[in-house]
Amino acid sequence: MSHFDWGSGAVVKPEDSKKKKNVQIIPAQTDLKRRAVNFIKGFDINLSPKQLEELEQVVQRSSDTFVREIGKDLMDCRKTVITALGDKSKRPAAVVAASDLAYSVKALGGTFQYPLMTQIAKSMETFVADRTTANEKQLLVIQLHIDSLYVILAGRVTGFGTTVEQATVAALTKLTERYEAPRE
Amino acid sequence: MNAKIDFSKISFLIVDGDKISAQVVYDTLAYLGASHIQRVKTPNDAFDVLRTEKIDIVVCEWRLRGMDGLEFLDVMRNSTNSPNRFIPVIMLTAHSELRYVTTARDLGITEFLAKPFNAKALYSRLVSVIARPRRFINTGTYFGPDRRRRQVQFDGPDRRSLDE
Repeated sequence: MSHFDWGSGAVVKPEDSKKKKNVQIIPAQTDLKRRAVNFIKGFDINLSPKQLEELEQVVQRSSDTFVREIGKDLMDCRKTVITALGDKSKRPAAVVAASDLAYSVKALGGTFQYPLMTQIAKSMETFVADRTTANEKQLLVIQLHIDSLYVILAGRVTGFGTTVEQATVAALTKLTERYEAPRE
Repeated sequence: MNAKIDFSKISFLIVDGDKISAQVVYDTLAYLGASHIQRVKTPNDAFDVLRTEKIDIVVCEWRLRGMDGLEFLDVMRNSTNSPNRFIPVIMLTAHSELRYVTTARDLGITEFLAKPFNAKALYSRLVSVIARPRRFINTGTYFGPDRRRRQVQFDGPDRRSLDE
């Protein structure tokens, strides 16, 4: 049924209201598939459990590097936070350093069988997110996270730990909630 | 007989400022047989490589210095200066919450891989990009791989051809 369009002042017929939308559908680019997929050379599209295990071992090759590098980053960040406790001008830099560290640990901990570190780093990342600085108590909360991460790494606590470690995670999360404000 | 992927035929670019994360991806690709793998730390370096070399797949971290991974993706898909608007981009990130996934999807990401990841997850994204390429959709508001992955029966109006 046709109707009067008050906006344009025109009589609109039903067929006019359905205009073709400008959508372009472009066929899939098959160049990669044509070049790489075959039946002779390479890795099966569906890897066997054994092949997957071997591939996982390749990932785990960097585990020692992770422990060494993150251990150093944790120590450096701890020093930065401690310095910032006594020097307000260094607090913004300490927050940035803590944020970078939290992201790295959160991203990689689980990959190298340290999911507990990922959990704690996530708590720390949430705590420092959108902050440009932190007060003394907030810096101490950050420091406690760093210390916990270091203990897990030094003790090579893989997996999710025992009830003690899980209680530590819960306590850290509570601390972050308690000292959440002010967020500057 | 099983279909295989010959990774030596494909060139990769890893864009990641984190040394360990980039190394893990590099090691995995090298083990799979990829011989042409470039590593850069920033999107600007990535653009330099993409303008001078033939790269088939980009593996990019979301959190980067300067321009972040999303802005990089936006330039790749939507800028007139883009070196290759159709290049497959696998986004790696520890931002795994739904809002991040949908944001990346709506900017034209090809595959999304949440960190911490394992070898199986990375491999499945690579297989998807190489062996199951998706068509591209170009509208006024979106340019990128088809976001409708599942083909399900739908009785409503076809919004791609008609205005509501």
